[in-house]
Amino acid sequence: MNTAPAERLVIRREHLPMLGRVAWKNVRLRYKSSLFGFLWTLFNPLLFLLIFLFIFSRAFPQVANYPVFALTGLILWSFFATTSGHIMGSLVENAPVLRSIAVPPLVFPLSQLLAGVFNLLLSLLPFAAILWWFGWRPSAVTLLVLPAVGLFAVFVYGVSLALCALNVLFRDIGLLWSALLPALFYLTPVAYPPDLVPDDLRWVAAMNPLYHFTALAREVLYLGRLPDAGQWITTAGIALIALLGGTAVFNLLRRSFIANY
Amino acid sequence: MSSAIELRGVQVDLLVQRHGFQSIKEYMVSLGGKRLLERKRVLHDIDLEVRRGECFGLVGRNGSGKSTLLRVLAGIIEPTAGMITVHGRVAPMLALGVGLEPELTGRENVDLCAALLGLGRADIERTHAFTRSFSGLAAAELDMQVKRYSTGMAARLGFSIATACDPDILLIDEVLAVGDVAFQQQCYRRIAELKQAGCTIVFVSHSLGEVQRICDRAACVEAGTVVKVGNTHEVGLHYHALLGITDQA
Repeated sequence: MNTAPAERLVIRREHLPMLGRVAWKNVRLRYKSSLFGFLWTLFNPLLFLLIFLFIFSRAFPQVANYPVFALTGLILWSFFATTSGHIMGSLVENAPVLRSIAVPPLVFPLSQLLAGVFNLLLSLLPFAAILWWFGWRPSAVTLLVLPAVGLFAVFVYGVSLALCALNVLFRDIGLLWSALLPALFYLTPVAYPPDLVPDDLRWVAAMNPLYHFTALAREVLYLGRLPDAGQWITTAGIALIALLGGTAVFNLLRRSFIANY
Repeated sequence: MSSAIELRGVQVDLLVQRHGFQSIKEYMVSLGGKRLLERKRVLHDIDLEVRRGECFGLVGRNGSGKSTLLRVLAGIIEPTAGMITVHGRVAPMLALGVGLEPELTGRENVDLCAALLGLGRADIERTHAFTRSFSGLAAAELDMQVKRYSTGMAARLGFSIATACDPDILLIDEVLAVGDVAFQQQCYRRIAELKQAGCTIVFVSHSLGEVQRICDRAACVEAGTVVKVGNTHEVGLHYHALLGITDQA
């Protein structure tokens, strides 16, 4: 065997077992030593749902079955907020390992993505039960939630990858992100219907990538309708741009990581 | 004798983020004219050959670049220029207990760390077996969360995992300072055993005594380059001259 060391820091097929093991560790550690474990994944969106029901359900009488409307948005949002945070911190948290073992840095953000997606898919079952309780019924269209979640995961990964790389050099990124998240939450139509935004300002709302992913998920889950081709193309395009952009930022900064963890 | 590691004209520049927010401001104000990251040359003009099966010492002052050189050998840092060839599987021991996850048990940590070291399924099994016999940790202790381990126990686990699978090249960076004396001796015996089996060892230390005790040859690193290569006696004299110590050794 004869490997030039430089080749070892780029992720390849041989790193798959490593990736799987680290992802599984992330899944297990997320709620380890906590009393309620996995239930915490559900707790956060449900708490928000409760608040929404209390405050907003009468504010938007035009929204039919508001709990189902709100919960579909909240599931996506919760995945976005948690996973982006986990991915963003993944390099800095694993600095001791990255400084002492030739592990491709990408293993850590990627394994956090896998753990996040696993957690999301697992949480879809109890969420389905809760939606059922609110009168929601699945149909053949419901299965489209999987490609929709897939596209969303690619988008979240791309954005978080750029943040993760920048966070190695400037820890401000992490702080900035936690300040920006609540603002983004109110910009995204999670609690309110998107048509609440005045028509002439709709283009501003549409600048927010999350707007399109929420719309796609609602089309499938809440309205139970087949999303049109335009929606798929828009979201797939955003996901692809995020992935390419995030990867580019990561690769651009990759060589500077080792001195700045 | 064939070589295990070969470096030709290796140079390493690190990109260091120096001034925090100030640098972003300066970068913005200068419209990208000023560099956001400072390029720092940590290693330059390194030619080095480590022969197969030898124990090679690296001595040098703090900050001379010997740990960076070890990271280059481990594949953690890619050289900016120059060529490096490493023959065989490298086991890095740059810090003991790295990658251990406090919340997981000893056994689960063997799986995790072995995976991080890039070991395959069969080698992971071997690592489990070796850890049971070598670490001196009882079965009950291996089923305990690592956060309940003492420093010494964690070091035993870490050392066992790192040296389990008969690597071709073992890189050691002054990690043996932890643990009790008995365990240190056990570690040295294991290193000798690996060497006997043909493993090449690169050992970094600023304690000349240790290097002279276990190494066949050595190199002295100063200001980012190798200033002397030879037997441990010659290199020791050179190193002491650098430090301004006159000795009769």
